[in-house]
Amino acid sequence: MATHTASGQTTAHRPPAWVPVTSLGLSLVALAVASYLTVTHYADPAALACPDTGIVNCALVTTSSWSVVLGVPLAVLGLVWGAVMTGLTLPWSWRRPARWVDGTRLVLSGAGAAMVLYLVYVELFRIGAICLWCTAMHVTAVILFGVILAGRAASSAPLPART
Amino acid sequence: MSKSPAGSARRPRPAPSSKTNTGSRRSTAPTPAQGTRFRTRHPVLTALIPVGLVVAAIATMVVIKATGRSSPPAAASSHLAGTATGATTGTATADTGTTTLSPQVLDALSVPTTTLDAVGSPSSVALPTKVGNGNGAVAEGADGKPLITYIGAEYCPYCAAERWALAVALSRFGTFQNLHGTHSSDTDQYPGTQTLSFYGSTYDSPYVDFQAVEEATNQPDGDTYQPLQTPTAAQSALAAKYDAQGSIPFLDIANRYVITGSSFSPQVLQGLSRSQIAADLADSDSAVAQAIDGAANDITAAIASVTGNQPSSVGSSATIAAIAQKLGA
Repeated sequence: MATHTASGQTTAHRPPAWVPVTSLGLSLVALAVASYLTVTHYADPAALACPDTGIVNCALVTTSSWSVVLGVPLAVLGLVWGAVMTGLTLPWSWRRPARWVDGTRLVLSGAGAAMVLYLVYVELFRIGAICLWCTAMHVTAVILFGVILAGRAASSAPLPART
Repeated sequence: MSKSPAGSARRPRPAPSSKTNTGSRRSTAPTPAQGTRFRTRHPVLTALIPVGLVVAAIATMVVIKATGRSSPPAAASSHLAGTATGATTGTATADTGTTTLSPQVLDALSVPTTTLDAVGSPSSVALPTKVGNGNGAVAEGADGKPLITYIGAEYCPYCAAERWALAVALSRFGTFQNLHGTHSSDTDQYPGTQTLSFYGSTYDSPYVDFQAVEEATNQPDGDTYQPLQTPTAAQSALAAKYDAQGSIPFLDIANRYVITGSSFSPQVLQGLSRSQIAADLADSDSAVAQAIDGAANDITAAIASVTGNQPSSVGSSATIAAIAQKLGA
Protein backbone atom coordinates (compact mmCIF):
# COMPACT_ATOMS: atom_id res chain seq x y z
CA MET A 1 0.00 0.00 0.00
CA ALA A 2 1.21 3.52 -0.77
CA THR A 3 -0.22 6.87 0.22
CA HIS A 4 0.42 10.38 -0.97
CA THR A 5 1.15 13.05 1.54
CA ALA A 6 0.00 16.59 1.28
CA SER A 7 3.52 17.50 0.34
CA GLY A 8 3.40 15.29 -2.68
CA GLN A 9 5.79 12.75 -1.27
CA THR A 10 5.02 9.10 -1.55
CA THR A 11 5.23 6.98 1.59
CA ALA A 12 5.68 3.28 0.99
CA HIS A 13 4.25 0.97 3.67
CA ARG A 14 5.34 -2.25 2.13
CA PRO A 15 8.88 -3.57 2.25
CA PRO A 16 10.54 -5.05 -0.81
CA ALA A 17 9.08 -8.40 -1.82
CA TRP A 18 12.14 -10.33 -0.65
CA VAL A 19 11.76 -9.17 2.95
CA PRO A 20 8.51 -11.02 3.86
CA VAL A 21 9.66 -14.15 2.04
CA THR A 22 13.10 -14.22 3.64
CA SER A 23 11.89 -13.32 7.10
CA LEU A 24 9.20 -15.98 7.03
CA GLY A 25 11.71 -18.57 5.84
CA LEU A 26 14.12 -17.65 8.65
CA SER A 27 11.34 -17.72 11.23
CA LEU A 28 10.33 -21.18 10.10
CA VAL A 29 13.93 -22.35 10.35
CA ALA A 30 14.13 -20.95 13.88
CA LEU A 31 10.86 -22.62 14.75
CA ALA A 32 12.06 -25.96 13.41
CA VAL A 33 15.39 -25.83 15.25
CA ALA A 34 13.73 -24.75 18.51
CA SER A 35 11.20 -27.55 18.14
CA TYR A 36 13.98 -30.10 17.78
CA LEU A 37 15.84 -28.68 20.78
CA THR A 38 12.66 -28.72 22.86
CA VAL A 39 11.83 -32.31 21.97
CA THR A 40 15.32 -33.54 22.78
CA HIS A 41 15.39 -31.46 25.96
CA TYR A 42 12.46 -33.44 27.32
CA ALA A 43 13.34 -36.74 25.68
CA ASP A 44 17.09 -37.28 25.87
CA PRO A 45 19.48 -34.31 25.63
CA ALA A 46 22.39 -36.64 24.98
CA ALA A 47 20.63 -37.89 21.84
CA LEU A 48 21.04 -34.57 20.01
CA ALA A 49 22.46 -35.17 16.53
CA CYS A 50 25.66 -33.25 17.15
CA PRO A 51 29.37 -34.02 16.83
CA ASP A 52 31.24 -34.24 20.10
CA THR A 53 34.73 -32.87 19.64
CA GLY A 54 35.37 -31.33 23.01
CA ILE A 55 34.64 -27.68 22.25
CA VAL A 56 31.54 -28.76 20.33
CA ASN A 57 29.21 -30.60 22.69
CA CYS A 58 25.50 -29.90 22.36
CA ALA A 59 24.45 -32.06 25.31
CA LEU A 60 26.86 -30.25 27.63
CA VAL A 61 25.29 -26.93 26.70
CA THR A 62 21.66 -27.99 26.68
CA THR A 63 21.90 -29.68 30.08
CA SER A 64 23.87 -26.96 31.83
CA SER A 65 22.42 -24.69 34.51
CA TRP A 66 22.26 -21.91 31.96
CA SER A 67 19.84 -23.84 29.77
CA VAL A 68 16.98 -22.95 32.08
CA VAL A 69 15.80 -19.41 32.86
CA LEU A 70 13.39 -18.96 35.77
CA GLY A 71 12.46 -22.60 35.51
CA VAL A 72 11.72 -22.41 31.81
CA PRO A 73 14.05 -24.26 29.42
CA LEU A 74 15.67 -21.94 26.88
CA ALA A 75 14.59 -24.37 24.18
CA VAL A 76 10.97 -23.68 25.08
CA LEU A 77 11.58 -19.93 25.10
CA GLY A 78 13.15 -20.30 21.66
CA LEU A 79 10.14 -22.26 20.49
CA VAL A 80 7.74 -19.56 21.68
CA TRP A 81 9.91 -16.87 20.13
CA GLY A 82 10.06 -18.75 16.83
CA ALA A 83 6.30 -19.23 16.80
CA VAL A 84 5.60 -15.56 17.48
CA MET A 85 8.15 -14.46 14.89
CA THR A 86 6.58 -16.79 12.36
CA GLY A 87 3.23 -15.15 12.99
CA LEU A 88 4.73 -11.69 12.71
CA THR A 89 6.46 -12.46 9.43
CA LEU A 90 3.52 -13.99 7.63
CA PRO A 91 2.59 -12.09 4.45
CA TRP A 92 -0.65 -11.13 6.17
CA SER A 93 1.30 -9.52 9.01
CA TRP A 94 3.54 -7.61 6.66
CA ARG A 95 0.44 -6.24 4.89
CA ARG A 96 -1.14 -5.03 8.10
CA PRO A 97 -0.78 -1.28 8.48
CA ALA A 98 -0.99 -1.44 12.28
CA ARG A 99 2.12 0.09 13.76
CA TRP A 100 2.17 -2.25 16.72
CA VAL A 101 2.76 -5.20 14.42
CA ASP A 102 5.79 -3.51 12.92
CA GLY A 103 7.03 -2.44 16.35
CA THR A 104 6.56 -5.84 17.96
CA ARG A 105 8.34 -7.53 15.08
CA LEU A 106 11.30 -5.18 15.42
CA VAL A 107 11.49 -5.39 19.21
CA LEU A 108 11.25 -9.18 19.30
CA SER A 109 13.84 -9.63 16.58
CA GLY A 110 16.13 -7.22 18.41
CA ALA A 111 15.56 -9.08 21.65
CA GLY A 112 16.48 -12.29 19.83
CA ALA A 113 19.75 -10.77 18.63
CA ALA A 114 20.53 -9.49 22.13
CA MET A 115 19.81 -12.91 23.59
CA VAL A 116 22.25 -14.37 21.08
CA LEU A 117 25.02 -12.20 22.50
CA TYR A 118 24.31 -13.39 26.02
CA LEU A 119 24.09 -17.04 25.04
CA VAL A 120 27.33 -16.95 23.05
CA TYR A 121 29.00 -15.41 26.09
CA VAL A 122 27.64 -18.18 28.30
CA GLU A 123 28.72 -20.90 25.87
CA LEU A 124 32.24 -19.55 25.47
CA PHE A 125 33.03 -18.37 28.97
CA ARG A 126 30.78 -20.23 31.35
CA ILE A 127 30.22 -23.62 29.81
CA GLY A 128 33.27 -23.88 27.59
CA ALA A 129 31.39 -25.71 24.86
CA ILE A 130 29.47 -24.83 21.74
CA CYS A 131 26.13 -26.31 20.70
CA LEU A 132 25.81 -26.46 16.92
CA TRP A 133 22.02 -26.48 16.99
CA CYS A 134 22.06 -23.43 19.25
CA THR A 135 24.51 -21.79 16.87
CA ALA A 136 22.12 -22.43 13.98
CA MET A 137 19.43 -20.73 16.02
CA HIS A 138 21.75 -17.81 16.78
CA VAL A 139 22.72 -17.29 13.14
CA THR A 140 19.07 -17.40 12.13
CA ALA A 141 18.07 -14.88 14.79
CA VAL A 142 20.79 -12.39 13.83
CA ILE A 143 20.03 -12.61 10.11
CA LEU A 144 16.31 -12.28 10.83
CA PHE A 145 17.02 -9.14 12.83
CA GLY A 146 18.93 -7.72 9.86
CA VAL A 147 16.20 -8.60 7.37
CA ILE A 148 13.52 -6.97 9.51
CA LEU A 149 15.64 -3.88 9.94
CA ALA A 150 16.17 -3.75 6.19
CA GLY A 151 12.46 -4.13 5.57
CA ARG A 152 11.68 -1.41 8.05
CA ALA A 153 14.25 0.95 6.57
CA ALA A 154 12.90 0.36 3.08
CA SER A 155 9.25 0.79 3.96
CA SER A 156 9.06 3.42 6.66
CA ALA A 157 10.99 6.26 5.12
CA PRO A 158 9.34 8.64 2.65
CA LEU A 159 10.33 8.26 -0.95
CA PRO A 160 11.03 11.27 -3.15
CA ALA A 161 8.04 12.36 -5.18
CA ARG A 162 7.93 11.09 -8.71
CA THR A 163 7.60 13.61 -11.42
CA MET B 1 12.44 20.29 9.18
CA SER B 2 9.98 22.71 7.60
CA LYS B 3 8.32 22.09 4.32
CA SER B 4 7.30 24.69 1.75
CA PRO B 5 3.75 24.89 0.48
CA ALA B 6 5.04 23.63 -2.85
CA GLY B 7 5.82 20.33 -1.19
CA SER B 8 9.59 20.24 -1.39
CA ALA B 9 11.63 20.06 1.75
CA ARG B 10 13.65 23.12 2.40
CA ARG B 11 17.05 22.55 3.83
CA PRO B 12 17.73 25.00 6.66
CA ARG B 13 20.51 27.36 5.81
CA PRO B 14 23.48 27.60 8.13
CA ALA B 15 23.94 30.78 10.09
CA PRO B 16 26.18 33.22 8.25
CA SER B 17 28.67 33.38 11.06
CA SER B 18 32.24 33.38 9.89
CA LYS B 19 33.68 32.51 13.28
CA THR B 20 32.36 29.00 13.18
CA ASN B 21 32.95 28.55 9.50
CA THR B 22 35.34 25.75 8.85
CA GLY B 23 36.29 27.12 5.50
CA SER B 24 33.87 25.14 3.42
CA ARG B 25 30.84 26.88 2.05
CA ARG B 26 28.73 23.74 2.18
CA SER B 27 28.42 21.49 5.16
CA THR B 28 29.48 17.89 4.50
CA ALA B 29 27.50 16.44 7.42
CA PRO B 30 24.46 14.48 6.22
CA THR B 31 21.16 16.17 6.86
CA PRO B 32 18.19 14.22 8.22
CA ALA B 33 16.73 14.12 4.76
CA GLN B 34 19.92 12.65 3.38
CA GLY B 35 19.93 10.04 6.14
CA THR B 36 16.37 9.09 5.35
CA ARG B 37 17.15 8.90 1.68
CA PHE B 38 20.17 6.68 2.39
CA ARG B 39 18.07 4.36 4.54
CA THR B 40 15.45 4.13 1.84
CA ARG B 41 17.82 3.54 -1.02
CA HIS B 42 20.17 1.22 0.85
CA PRO B 43 18.03 -0.73 3.31
CA VAL B 44 20.38 -3.69 3.39
CA LEU B 45 23.36 -1.50 4.19
CA THR B 46 21.36 0.23 6.89
CA ALA B 47 20.40 -3.08 8.42
CA LEU B 48 23.98 -4.26 8.30
CA ILE B 49 25.08 -1.63 10.81
CA PRO B 50 23.37 -3.04 13.94
CA VAL B 51 23.81 -6.58 12.66
CA GLY B 52 27.47 -5.82 12.11
CA LEU B 53 27.73 -4.63 15.70
CA VAL B 54 26.25 -7.90 16.92
CA VAL B 55 28.62 -9.91 14.75
CA ALA B 56 31.56 -7.79 15.89
CA ALA B 57 30.67 -8.39 19.53
CA ILE B 58 30.51 -12.14 18.93
CA ALA B 59 33.79 -12.08 17.03
CA THR B 60 35.40 -10.19 19.91
CA MET B 61 34.25 -12.82 22.37
CA VAL B 62 35.59 -15.60 20.16
CA VAL B 63 38.95 -13.87 19.85
CA ILE B 64 39.16 -13.30 23.61
CA LYS B 65 38.35 -16.94 24.19
CA ALA B 66 40.80 -18.14 21.56
CA THR B 67 43.64 -16.03 22.87
CA GLY B 68 43.01 -17.26 26.38
CA ARG B 69 42.22 -13.93 27.95
CA SER B 70 39.51 -14.38 30.47
CA SER B 71 36.16 -12.73 30.81
CA PRO B 72 35.25 -10.38 33.60
CA PRO B 73 34.20 -12.08 36.80
CA ALA B 74 30.74 -13.49 36.82
CA ALA B 75 28.13 -11.78 38.85
CA ALA B 76 28.80 -12.36 42.47
CA SER B 77 26.78 -15.12 43.98
CA SER B 78 26.81 -16.14 47.55
CA HIS B 79 28.06 -19.63 48.15
CA LEU B 80 26.06 -19.61 51.32
CA ALA B 81 22.84 -19.50 49.42
CA GLY B 82 23.14 -22.96 48.01
CA THR B 83 24.27 -26.40 48.90
CA ALA B 84 26.47 -28.69 46.94
CA THR B 85 24.55 -30.75 44.46
CA GLY B 86 23.11 -33.78 46.13
CA ALA B 87 24.28 -32.87 49.58
CA THR B 88 20.91 -32.06 50.94
CA THR B 89 21.73 -31.99 54.57
CA GLY B 90 24.19 -29.15 54.65
CA THR B 91 24.21 -27.08 57.79
CA ALA B 92 23.73 -23.34 57.90
CA THR B 93 27.24 -22.71 59.12
CA ALA B 94 28.82 -19.73 57.42
CA ASP B 95 31.91 -20.74 55.48
CA THR B 96 34.24 -17.81 55.94
CA GLY B 97 37.22 -19.61 54.50
CA THR B 98 36.27 -19.42 50.84
CA THR B 99 36.74 -16.76 48.20
CA THR B 100 35.46 -16.22 44.70
CA LEU B 101 37.32 -18.35 42.22
CA SER B 102 38.84 -16.28 39.44
CA PRO B 103 37.63 -16.88 35.87
CA GLN B 104 41.19 -17.80 34.89
CA VAL B 105 41.21 -20.65 37.35
CA LEU B 106 37.76 -21.79 36.25
CA ASP B 107 38.80 -21.80 32.61
CA ALA B 108 41.98 -23.69 33.43
CA LEU B 109 39.98 -26.63 34.75
CA SER B 110 39.11 -27.45 31.14
CA VAL B 111 42.60 -28.73 30.39
CA PRO B 112 43.35 -29.16 26.66
CA THR B 113 43.06 -32.76 25.52
CA THR B 114 46.55 -32.61 24.03
CA THR B 115 47.96 -31.77 27.44
CA LEU B 116 46.02 -34.54 29.15
CA ASP B 117 47.15 -37.04 26.52
CA ALA B 118 50.76 -35.92 26.93
CA VAL B 119 50.58 -36.48 30.68
CA GLY B 120 48.88 -39.87 30.47
CA SER B 121 48.92 -41.87 33.69
CA PRO B 122 52.16 -41.28 35.59
CA SER B 123 53.27 -44.12 37.85
CA SER B 124 53.58 -41.67 40.73
CA VAL B 125 49.81 -41.27 40.80
CA ALA B 126 47.69 -43.88 42.58
CA LEU B 127 45.02 -45.55 40.45
CA PRO B 128 41.39 -45.82 41.56
CA THR B 129 40.62 -49.12 43.23
CA LYS B 130 38.26 -51.46 41.49
CA VAL B 131 35.30 -52.57 43.60
CA GLY B 132 34.96 -56.36 43.57
CA ASN B 133 35.26 -57.74 40.08
CA GLY B 134 34.03 -54.48 38.62
CA ASN B 135 30.83 -56.01 37.35
CA GLY B 136 28.53 -54.90 40.15
CA ALA B 137 25.51 -52.72 39.68
CA VAL B 138 26.30 -49.17 38.66
CA ALA B 139 25.11 -46.72 41.33
CA GLU B 140 22.72 -44.26 39.79
CA GLY B 141 21.54 -40.81 40.77
CA ALA B 142 17.96 -39.61 40.93
CA ASP B 143 17.66 -39.32 37.17
CA GLY B 144 19.29 -42.63 36.35
CA LYS B 145 22.77 -41.42 35.48
CA PRO B 146 25.87 -43.01 37.05
CA LEU B 147 26.44 -41.44 40.46
CA ILE B 148 29.76 -40.09 41.62
CA THR B 149 30.05 -39.30 45.30
CA TYR B 150 32.76 -37.23 46.93
CA ILE B 151 33.17 -36.73 50.66
CA GLY B 152 35.86 -34.41 51.98
CA ALA B 153 36.45 -31.29 54.03
CA GLU B 154 37.95 -27.91 53.33
CA TYR B 155 40.60 -28.14 56.07
CA CYS B 156 41.95 -31.42 54.68
CA PRO B 157 45.13 -31.04 52.57
CA TYR B 158 44.65 -34.36 50.79
CA CYS B 159 41.13 -33.29 49.81
CA ALA B 160 42.64 -30.04 48.58
CA ALA B 161 44.88 -31.97 46.23
CA GLU B 162 42.26 -34.44 45.07
CA ARG B 163 39.64 -31.77 44.32
CA TRP B 164 41.81 -30.34 41.55
CA ALA B 165 42.01 -33.70 39.78
CA LEU B 166 38.34 -34.44 40.31
CA ALA B 167 37.30 -31.02 38.98
CA VAL B 168 39.51 -31.44 35.89
CA ALA B 169 38.09 -34.89 35.25
CA LEU B 170 34.46 -33.87 35.76
CA SER B 171 34.92 -30.87 33.49
CA ARG B 172 35.20 -33.37 30.63
CA PHE B 173 31.71 -34.66 31.40
CA GLY B 174 29.82 -31.54 32.47
CA THR B 175 30.01 -28.03 33.82
CA PHE B 176 30.49 -26.54 37.27
CA GLN B 177 28.91 -23.39 38.55
CA ASN B 178 29.68 -21.44 41.69
CA LEU B 179 32.94 -23.17 42.51
CA HIS B 180 34.85 -21.21 45.12
CA GLY B 181 38.46 -20.99 46.12
CA THR B 182 39.69 -22.12 49.50
CA HIS B 183 42.76 -23.63 51.16
CA SER B 184 43.49 -26.38 53.58
CA SER B 185 44.08 -25.74 57.25
CA ASP B 186 46.98 -23.50 58.17
CA THR B 187 47.87 -25.75 61.07
CA ASP B 188 47.59 -29.20 59.52
CA GLN B 189 49.99 -31.06 57.25
CA TYR B 190 50.80 -29.27 54.00
CA PRO B 191 49.37 -26.08 55.49
CA GLY B 192 47.42 -23.67 53.34
CA THR B 193 47.28 -25.87 50.25
CA GLN B 194 45.39 -23.81 47.69
CA THR B 195 42.37 -25.47 46.16
CA LEU B 196 38.70 -25.08 45.32
CA SER B 197 35.62 -26.04 47.28
CA PHE B 198 32.62 -27.97 46.05
CA TYR B 199 30.50 -26.41 48.79
CA GLY B 200 27.73 -24.32 47.25
CA SER B 201 28.60 -25.42 43.74
CA THR B 202 26.36 -27.07 41.19
CA TYR B 203 27.36 -29.53 38.53
CA ASP B 204 25.41 -30.33 35.38
CA SER B 205 26.15 -33.21 33.07
CA PRO B 206 24.19 -35.27 30.57
CA TYR B 207 26.34 -38.27 31.50
CA VAL B 208 26.79 -38.44 35.28
CA ASP B 209 25.40 -37.17 38.56
CA PHE B 210 27.82 -35.72 41.07
CA GLN B 211 27.21 -35.38 44.78
CA ALA B 212 29.75 -33.56 46.89
CA VAL B 213 29.91 -33.21 50.65
CA GLU B 214 32.34 -30.86 52.38
CA GLU B 215 32.01 -31.88 56.00
CA ALA B 216 33.86 -28.95 57.55
CA THR B 217 35.40 -25.59 56.80
CA ASN B 218 39.05 -24.71 57.31
CA GLN B 219 38.14 -22.53 60.29
CA PRO B 220 39.26 -24.01 63.64
CA ASP B 221 36.57 -24.67 66.19
CA GLY B 222 38.17 -25.90 69.37
CA ASP B 223 39.95 -29.14 68.62
CA THR B 224 38.26 -29.54 65.31
CA TYR B 225 36.83 -27.40 62.50
CA GLN B 226 33.51 -25.70 61.96
CA PRO B 227 31.03 -28.19 60.55
CA LEU B 228 29.70 -27.47 57.09
CA GLN B 229 27.70 -30.34 55.61
CA THR B 230 26.55 -33.72 56.83
CA PRO B 231 26.44 -36.74 54.52
CA THR B 232 23.07 -38.30 53.91
CA ALA B 233 22.39 -41.75 55.31
CA ALA B 234 23.09 -43.26 51.90
CA GLN B 235 26.37 -41.40 51.58
CA SER B 236 27.42 -42.42 55.08
CA ALA B 237 26.58 -46.03 54.30
CA LEU B 238 28.61 -45.83 51.11
CA ALA B 239 31.62 -44.47 52.95
CA ALA B 240 31.27 -47.07 55.69
CA LYS B 241 31.18 -49.84 53.11
CA TYR B 242 34.20 -48.84 51.05
CA ASP B 243 36.13 -46.64 53.45
CA ALA B 244 36.07 -48.46 56.77
CA GLN B 245 38.79 -46.23 58.25
CA GLY B 246 36.73 -43.16 57.48
CA SER B 247 39.53 -41.36 55.69
CA ILE B 248 38.92 -38.39 53.46
CA PRO B 249 38.86 -37.61 50.66
CA PHE B 250 36.58 -40.45 49.69
CA LEU B 251 35.47 -40.81 46.10
CA ASP B 252 33.03 -43.40 44.85
CA ILE B 253 32.59 -43.76 41.10
CA ALA B 254 29.21 -45.44 40.69
CA ASN B 255 30.25 -48.28 43.02
CA ARG B 256 32.72 -49.49 40.41
CA TYR B 257 35.83 -47.65 41.57
CA VAL B 258 36.76 -45.91 44.79
CA ILE B 259 39.57 -43.63 45.88
CA THR B 260 40.36 -43.18 49.57
CA GLY B 261 42.91 -40.52 50.32
CA SER B 262 44.49 -38.41 47.61
CA SER B 263 45.89 -39.86 44.41
CA PHE B 264 49.09 -37.84 44.80
CA SER B 265 50.94 -35.96 47.49
CA PRO B 266 49.80 -32.39 48.27
CA GLN B 267 53.51 -31.59 48.51
CA VAL B 268 53.52 -30.79 44.80
CA LEU B 269 51.15 -27.87 45.45
CA GLN B 270 53.03 -26.37 48.36
CA GLY B 271 53.77 -22.67 48.07
CA LEU B 272 51.76 -22.29 44.89
CA SER B 273 48.83 -19.93 44.47
CA ARG B 274 45.64 -21.10 42.80
CA SER B 275 46.56 -19.07 39.73
CA GLN B 276 49.96 -20.73 39.53
CA ILE B 277 48.43 -24.17 39.90
CA ALA B 278 45.82 -23.34 37.28
CA ALA B 279 48.48 -22.11 34.86
CA ASP B 280 50.59 -25.23 35.36
CA LEU B 281 47.67 -27.49 34.48
CA ALA B 282 48.21 -26.71 30.81
CA ASP B 283 51.95 -27.44 30.97
CA SER B 284 52.29 -31.18 30.62
CA ASP B 285 55.91 -31.09 31.80
CA SER B 286 55.14 -29.37 35.08
CA ALA B 287 55.02 -31.34 38.31
CA VAL B 288 51.54 -29.94 38.93
CA ALA B 289 50.21 -31.25 35.61
CA GLN B 290 51.90 -34.61 36.10
CA ALA B 291 50.11 -34.98 39.41
CA ILE B 292 46.72 -33.32 38.85
CA ASP B 293 46.22 -34.07 35.15
CA GLY B 294 47.56 -37.58 35.66
CA ALA B 295 45.09 -38.25 38.47
CA ALA B 296 42.35 -36.60 36.42
CA ASN B 297 43.06 -38.99 33.55
CA ASP B 298 42.75 -41.97 35.87
CA ILE B 299 39.47 -40.67 37.27
CA THR B 300 38.25 -39.87 33.77
CA ALA B 301 38.93 -43.43 32.61
CA ALA B 302 37.06 -44.80 35.62
CA ILE B 303 34.09 -42.52 34.97
CA ALA B 304 34.05 -43.31 31.25
CA SER B 305 33.78 -46.99 32.12
CA VAL B 306 30.35 -46.30 33.65
CA THR B 307 29.10 -43.85 31.03
CA GLY B 308 29.53 -46.25 28.13
CA ASN B 309 32.57 -44.25 27.02
CA GLN B 310 30.47 -41.12 26.59
CA PRO B 311 31.07 -38.40 25.58
CA SER B 312 32.92 -39.57 22.51
CA SER B 313 35.60 -36.90 23.01
CA VAL B 314 36.56 -38.96 26.07
CA GLY B 315 35.66 -42.41 24.82
CA SER B 316 37.66 -42.03 21.62
CA SER B 317 40.84 -41.05 23.47
CA ALA B 318 43.60 -43.63 23.12
CA THR B 319 45.05 -42.37 26.40
CA ILE B 320 41.83 -42.99 28.28
CA ALA B 321 41.45 -46.40 26.63
CA ALA B 322 44.95 -47.37 27.75
CA ILE B 323 44.25 -46.27 31.31
CA ALA B 324 40.94 -48.16 31.28
CA GLN B 325 42.92 -51.29 30.48
CA LYS B 326 45.14 -50.64 33.48
CA LEU B 327 42.03 -50.22 35.59
CA GLY B 328 40.63 -53.49 34.34
CA ALA B 329 37.57 -51.72 33.06
